[in-house]
Amino acid sequence: MTQYLIRRVLQVIPTFIGATLLAFIIIQLTPGDFTDRFALDPNADAEQLQRLRENFGLDDPVLVQYFKWMWGIITAGYLGESFTYRAPVTEIIVPLIINSFTLVLISLILTYLLAIPIGIYQAVNQYRLGDQVWSFFAVVGLAIPNFFFILLLIVGVLYLQAPLREIAQGNAWYRPILDFLSYDLRNGLLFPVGGMRTTEIYDSLSWWQQVGDRLWHLILPTLVITTAGLSSLVRVVRGQVLDFLQSDFVRTARAKGLSERVVVYKHVLRNAISPVISGIGTVLPELVTGAGLVEFVYRWPGITPGFVIAIQQKDLYVVMGLLVLSAILLMIGNLISDVLLALVDPRIRYS
Amino acid sequence: MIGPVTSSSTPLRTLSRGQVVRLQFRKHRLAMVSLWVLGLLYLLAAFADFIAPYGESESFFRGAIDRSFAPPTRIHWRDPETGAQTRPFVYNVRSEINLETLQFEFKEDTSTRYPIRFFTQGQPYVPFPINLIPQTWRNTWGFNPTVTLRLFGVDKPATIFLWGADRLGRDVFGRILFGARITLTIGIFAAVLALVVGLVLGAVAGYYGGWLDDLIMRVVEVLSTIPALFLLLALRALFPLDAKSSVVFFVVILILGLIRWGGVARAVRGQVLSLREEDYVMAARGLGASDARIIFRHVLPATASFAIVSFSLLIPGFILTESGLSFLGLGISDPNASWGLMLAVAQEGGMQTFTSRPWMLIPGLFIFITVLAFNFVGDGLRDALDPKARRG
Repeated sequence: MTQYLIRRVLQVIPTFIGATLLAFIIIQLTPGDFTDRFALDPNADAEQLQRLRENFGLDDPVLVQYFKWMWGIITAGYLGESFTYRAPVTEIIVPLIINSFTLVLISLILTYLLAIPIGIYQAVNQYRLGDQVWSFFAVVGLAIPNFFFILLLIVGVLYLQAPLREIAQGNAWYRPILDFLSYDLRNGLLFPVGGMRTTEIYDSLSWWQQVGDRLWHLILPTLVITTAGLSSLVRVVRGQVLDFLQSDFVRTARAKGLSERVVVYKHVLRNAISPVISGIGTVLPELVTGAGLVEFVYRWPGITPGFVIAIQQKDLYVVMGLLVLSAILLMIGNLISDVLLALVDPRIRYS
Repeated sequence: MIGPVTSSSTPLRTLSRGQVVRLQFRKHRLAMVSLWVLGLLYLLAAFADFIAPYGESESFFRGAIDRSFAPPTRIHWRDPETGAQTRPFVYNVRSEINLETLQFEFKEDTSTRYPIRFFTQGQPYVPFPINLIPQTWRNTWGFNPTVTLRLFGVDKPATIFLWGADRLGRDVFGRILFGARITLTIGIFAAVLALVVGLVLGAVAGYYGGWLDDLIMRVVEVLSTIPALFLLLALRALFPLDAKSSVVFFVVILILGLIRWGGVARAVRGQVLSLREEDYVMAARGLGASDARIIFRHVLPATASFAIVSFSLLIPGFILTESGLSFLGLGISDPNASWGLMLAVAQEGGMQTFTSRPWMLIPGLFIFITVLAFNFVGDGLRDALDPKARRG
């Protein structure tokens, strides 16, 4: 196992070099050298430019530049500096990544927690009403663009605002409860329609109210991303369980007189689960980018909005940093799913 | 005699593979319905200029007729005085301030009726299919026939907006049809590109093996390591962000195709690995066929089922990506229409006023329907081409 792990980790290295080289080439090809931009910009920070020039060897050949840049990442985690924010790239992108991954991880966990029972339910009740209802939802979930879905949810919340506000602002017994629950509820907003927290009042809240406020803001985007993940995963689980329900060992188990429950959960699920787990690797990139446009609409300060802004402002090192970091995260995701697969499925040999 | 020998009076029909596939596909009801829906959408897109009452960028904004965010025009079928059925007509609208909500609202001016005219005149346009020829070619040939015939319309100053107007007072219904041209063709072209590159490189990798295989598969791996959306955005940044829509159209096709060929290549390589050991490939090699001939005449045709299915399933993915890109403002740009862009424009003016103009969300419905239809057609094709999934 250890050997397998080491080999698997070593395999990642050429891919990493390839991905970073690709990112580097793209950035090199992007028209408009930033030094030109600085020459025209009266507010240019000559010191910053000098620092970048030294650190990245901007006068050296491209390949030398790449190695200098790479060396900086490996030894000091130095990704360059942002022109727009006049700060090290790391300082700017680390919060973006933390924000995105809170969203993605919660959604990912929810997706798996829900997809497996739903998929099993569908397979056991194949072609019955329950199966068809869930299949219908899955088909719809696959076809609806994430950014459109979140827009629809936001519009829905806004439609409810006027009637809810009347109820919420009436002189009723439940008013203190609403005040206690959320700032937005008092204004008739069932859920917040954007952002990570209610900026107007966040600082005046006690810590547990702050936690509540943040969770409240997570609900809509999580719902959208989870639906997207569920739609594809439920199909996989359903297909897998169906395949195994018809296998010989299941017939044997039933013939032995085991209860259907034991057959499904002990015999079928153990076998059906492995591709689902290895699927984490394929779901992860979808989630990183799937969260993307949702973040954009919901004004969630995550990776994708940061990336789009950086591209629009030609903030090259921020773009590079985000490309490299998302590539690393994806590779880690694939690595984890391979290792999980090896742990779950004893048939996989490590040689 | 070819085919089964039967003694009964009605001879058994033997079907070709194509006939079997077509028969199987027809049994997939959702797929058939989807095919019709898609056909209709493409037809609407092709004849958008004729069907839409206004041109793609014809706007009623800050002029004599101001229709910024005008709601869908009410069409009257009955005479308001007698209540009898009459030919459909609309009223002119005036924008008035609502003193309660302090927002502008369009009020109908019931003094004059404007009947809806069919086969009427509008802005001139170059009809389909002549408009498929690039403009520059048409200009050099001096071949620019224009038509003014439109399916329906009303006399000015009244306007007819079936699905309301956007901020610049442009017809949402018409722009959805014009947007369909972009969205529906980008998906297909990008899928063709991804498929061709994927098939050829996958076949080459699988057939030759060795360092070529390693190289191609490494490239696929590297491409899949960077999240597709970011790769797309970074590649998009190589081209001027404010480029003309006609240029962006091809740039987006190129980028989309080059990002997604990896999955096709990987699957084709797997198939080719086993195909190249087949007897008929051996035979072809023994007969002295060249590698190119073996790949293109013997190996690749065997992957046709896979190619057809993945083609139909690539398209909806590309449609989603293209609309996402336009939604971010990095795809097709104003004054041209694309469904994603129209949704982005819908956000102008802030979220809080969204409820006063829900018609701006209709383009999203079209993305949804199109992707759904392509998914169903893809499923239908997959089932029809899979001998194990035959329906009786």
